[in-house]
Amino acid sequence: MTESEQNSPTPQDGAPAAAGDFLTSAKPAAASVAVIPRDAPPKRPRRKRQWGKWSSRVVLALLFLLGFFLSVVPAGRAVMRGALLLPSVLSATQPGVLIAAGEPFTHTTRTITSQAGQVFLDVYAPVGAPPPIPGSREALVMIPGVGDNRGDPQLINLSEALARVGVVVVNMTTPQLIGFEVEPAEEDSVIQAFNFAARLPGVNPHGIGIVGFSGGSVLACLAAADARIRDQVNFIVTFGALYNVTDVIRDFGLRYVVADGQKVPFNPYPDPIEVMANLVAGTLPPNEGQTLIDSLPPYSDPLPDPESALPAPGAAAAYHLLAGDEATPAQVEQNLAALSPTLKQLLDALSPSRVLAQIHCPLYLLHDHNDRYIPFTESRDFDAALTRLGYPHEFAEFGIFHHTEISSGFGLGPLLGDGSKLYRILTGVLSASS
Amino acid sequence: MFLLSLLWLALGVAIGALALPARLRPASWGRQGWLMLLGLGALAALLGGWLGTLLLGKLFGTPAALWVAVLAVFLPWLVERLRSGHAPP
Repeated sequence: MTESEQNSPTPQDGAPAAAGDFLTSAKPAAASVAVIPRDAPPKRPRRKRQWGKWSSRVVLALLFLLGFFLSVVPAGRAVMRGALLLPSVLSATQPGVLIAAGEPFTHTTRTITSQAGQVFLDVYAPVGAPPPIPGSREALVMIPGVGDNRGDPQLINLSEALARVGVVVVNMTTPQLIGFEVEPAEEDSVIQAFNFAARLPGVNPHGIGIVGFSGGSVLACLAAADARIRDQVNFIVTFGALYNVTDVIRDFGLRYVVADGQKVPFNPYPDPIEVMANLVAGTLPPNEGQTLIDSLPPYSDPLPDPESALPAPGAAAAYHLLAGDEATPAQVEQNLAALSPTLKQLLDALSPSRVLAQIHCPLYLLHDHNDRYIPFTESRDFDAALTRLGYPHEFAEFGIFHHTEISSGFGLGPLLGDGSKLYRILTGVLSASS
Repeated sequence: MFLLSLLWLALGVAIGALALPARLRPASWGRQGWLMLLGLGALAALLGGWLGTLLLGKLFGTPAALWVAVLAVFLPWLVERLRSGHAPP
């Protein structure tokens, strides 16, 4: 039966029906008398078949286009990777689909050296050579902030999920970062980790991005602005970034931030206060530095007389800013002005705002809207500066994260809203070597 | 890869099954044509999946299996259509 035969009317359609089915006459059809079937057969089955034929063809065409887009078109491959990665990020686990369809990977640890000392690397890499198309792999150098986060389940989950979607992940930390210290000299550690990633087999040396979480975002920006690698960095992702460290100290002092013309309370957690205290302490005589660190709330009783206990220039002012005990705008500005020139220089040296003009790659800025480590206004300022300069970038604020980690118990609305923003950024990041 | 291969086979059978109401079964295949269409879909999906994995990576085997299977069940219909002198719609 040919296609046209299949489409021809069938006995059920009513054409060559039995004689008894007709109201009148057994005259041939050629006669002028109309033959009216007694039980006029319904037309619907044929229409249904036609509808079924075309709807099936449309479904097949859509499946073809979908499959072709997701596998052959580079943007489609990024979409596919993002779609597989997103559930893993949102659920902080690895869905079975990703485990079944993703690539096997290995986890190795390495220690390299930089001008600042040792750099500890955790490498999550897909097994085997990269596929012929595109012929190389993308790599991410991730700086997971201060403290020892190498065993953090969410960091491990993210690294493994990225490796499963074909991305080489190099997580880096240093003894200073583990000890809650962020120093400009650590920039070289990031550059050494970047160069290490570039030398890994199968990695596209121009397809490497730097991801900085929290305090790591400072180092990500400083390294990406460095002349040694700035034309090689494919993109930067900052999550919970600082833009101007002096502004962050100001926010710590005020205990609020101004957003959309309104005061929003900002009560920092002890960890960021400790990082700032370590930063300040490095510019003070050792005994005073230790006094500052040991006397900051909430873990210690506040100093009864900071001016006597911290006589070095600017030390007491720094104490008041971090302790938040002189929180009027005038007092905060006065304390900021009283900081030592060395500390002011250090704060400036650590600020991504200083090196913005030297960054040559797109940036993705992410921030928790309720962040109590780094105020979200920092990423807003970053975004505004990039917009003014006309730099390619994307900025997204989230409500489903707790600083940089996914929180639990959020509803469907935030999940869909934030999930779509996160998906857009993941797709952008993953298109580097799709 | 074994599980993925099974998935691709199932995907191909589903696409072959979808090709039946789409009237993509060549008439010349006779009464067992429907079975051949299912088999063709399964085989093409398996081939497409493996080819996609080898060329693009494991992650992209499934979408590759999808479009190769659709192409495979469409081609015989198109060839017969062209042979019989009908222009494709």
